[in-house]
Amino acid sequence: MNSPTNAIALNRVTDLVQDDRVHSDVYTSPEIFELEMERIFHRQWLYIGHAAELPKHGDYRVRKMGRKSVIMVRGNDGRIRVLMNRCRHRGMAVCEQFQGNAKNFTCWYHGWVYSNQGDLLDVTQPEGYGDDFDRGAFGLTPAPRVEQYRGFVFASLSATGESLSDHLGLAKRYFDYFEEASPVGRIDVTAGVQRTVYRGNWKFVGMDGYHPYYTHKSVMDMWQARRDGNLGDTHRGDPFSDDSGNLTRDVGNGHVLLDMYGGRKRHLEHYLESLAKKPGGAQYIADMKAAYGEERARELLIWAGDPHVGVYPNLQLIGIHIRIVHPIAVDETEVLMFPVLWEGVAPEINSARLRVHESFYGPSSQGSPDDAELFERNQLGLQADIDPWVYLARGMHREKVDSDGSLIGMPGDETTQRGQFKAWKKMMQEPA
Amino acid sequence: MSDLRERIERFLYLEADLMDESRFDEWDGLWADEALYWVPCNDDDGDPDRQVTIIYDDRNGIRDRLARLNSTAAHSQRPRSRMRRLISNVVFDAGPDGVVEVRSNFLLAELRHGRQDLFAGRSVHRLRERGDGFEITYKKVLLLNNDEPIDNLTFLI
Repeated sequence: MNSPTNAIALNRVTDLVQDDRVHSDVYTSPEIFELEMERIFHRQWLYIGHAAELPKHGDYRVRKMGRKSVIMVRGNDGRIRVLMNRCRHRGMAVCEQFQGNAKNFTCWYHGWVYSNQGDLLDVTQPEGYGDDFDRGAFGLTPAPRVEQYRGFVFASLSATGESLSDHLGLAKRYFDYFEEASPVGRIDVTAGVQRTVYRGNWKFVGMDGYHPYYTHKSVMDMWQARRDGNLGDTHRGDPFSDDSGNLTRDVGNGHVLLDMYGGRKRHLEHYLESLAKKPGGAQYIADMKAAYGEERARELLIWAGDPHVGVYPNLQLIGIHIRIVHPIAVDETEVLMFPVLWEGVAPEINSARLRVHESFYGPSSQGSPDDAELFERNQLGLQADIDPWVYLARGMHREKVDSDGSLIGMPGDETTQRGQFKAWKKMMQEPA
Repeated sequence: MSDLRERIERFLYLEADLMDESRFDEWDGLWADEALYWVPCNDDDGDPDRQVTIIYDDRNGIRDRLARLNSTAAHSQRPRSRMRRLISNVVFDAGPDGVVEVRSNFLLAELRHGRQDLFAGRSVHRLRERGDGFEITYKKVLLLNNDEPIDNLTFLI
């Protein structure tokens, strides 16, 4: 815990992240993890959940903001709140379920009852508090800031700071691609969640276009052999090669993506042919054009609802799913995956999307368990830190600035990792 | 009746051995041409058309799964899980069309990378007579922890 290296690390976060490398301590030091909790997860904008998870009044989900258990709930007034899961009397958790629907939240230690809007409704044996007890001052504590973008609910435990809009910046358009893949512009987030966990640092869930050939060799071999109807539909040709038309992109504030627009544009006709053969597919294409116009529909169909973006620090939109990355300890991370359904399409389209998702993501799938396995080997390898540096220089010599100011690299370049660590360094150096 | 019970139990024990020992090709041979291998997620009764699952494999899905596990690049099974499972509480209903629905419980110990995990649940098999044994037309596995975080479930359950 108090090795000289870590003591230095705490005081000099700057030295741990250099332009082309990072120190192992950023992944292995418990002190660094504590500082991440304080300066990133207990301060910055975090994704909590989607409004479409809570269609009915009283629907709630229990989530974590760093170490703090929170309840995201749609109150009887229809408004979504993010409330600390903590009784104002003696601090018991008032909600013991992972998800559900509730009119009230009751602390069963001494029977205090809160509404699903967070108001304290009932104090048992109130004579013990005297006449001047102000019930209105004892509601469940809300997260200091809560904002939404297109139904994505974010919260921050800091009362001040940049707006969500400024934080998302250039990344906002990727939420649009994700939602406007539905011809009515709405996603359904009630298909459940796959919860996975690995024994490694949270930052390994990065955004990496270099690893698929090796980490996912077993699957890529199968895509090439049999494409239609599986994930190969949106990964035609060789999507991670330098001449694929695809890119890595750093849009600032730690938000990065594997930008597959260029490659998919080349393969659009194949994708549409494959789509049109599926039940509901031709109608879907027609509905997209009717809803958005020829030009925008084409752009949206190229994106295929899959922006493949990481929104720093805890959200990713990949394939058909919303992903929450939740750090538990320096060497343990939970990953929650919420596949979304498109509203306004034939049911067969959504069931097929679920099956494609499950083929690659989830604890029994063919993709994400191999990532988790490699993350665990990474955590193991980093302990052998006689040379403590992790090399992230790939593509530095060929990185370019795009017209919108974002940085772009080849699909396998570490533009994405460098982009995330730039944000990490900035957040970690901001004093309280 | 006792003969049918003995044949069913013998079949479940054979399947357990094949899964425990990662004998993929032999396990593949137990399946009928029309097959569904289903492990629900979040609860036991979700509608797979609208709810995500842990496994929802048709016959081709089973083949893809096993082909990948046979690959040297399936890292999450390199090294392979070492397993032993107990099958118990077997009850069954013989249907009119030669298909028997069998419900059984399992307790599985799985060892990998120096860590031993326990998985428990109930399996529902639909077995059709084939030769002197059965083939599996349907298998649904109700994992006790299907709504909890799971690290690696890439072996056969």
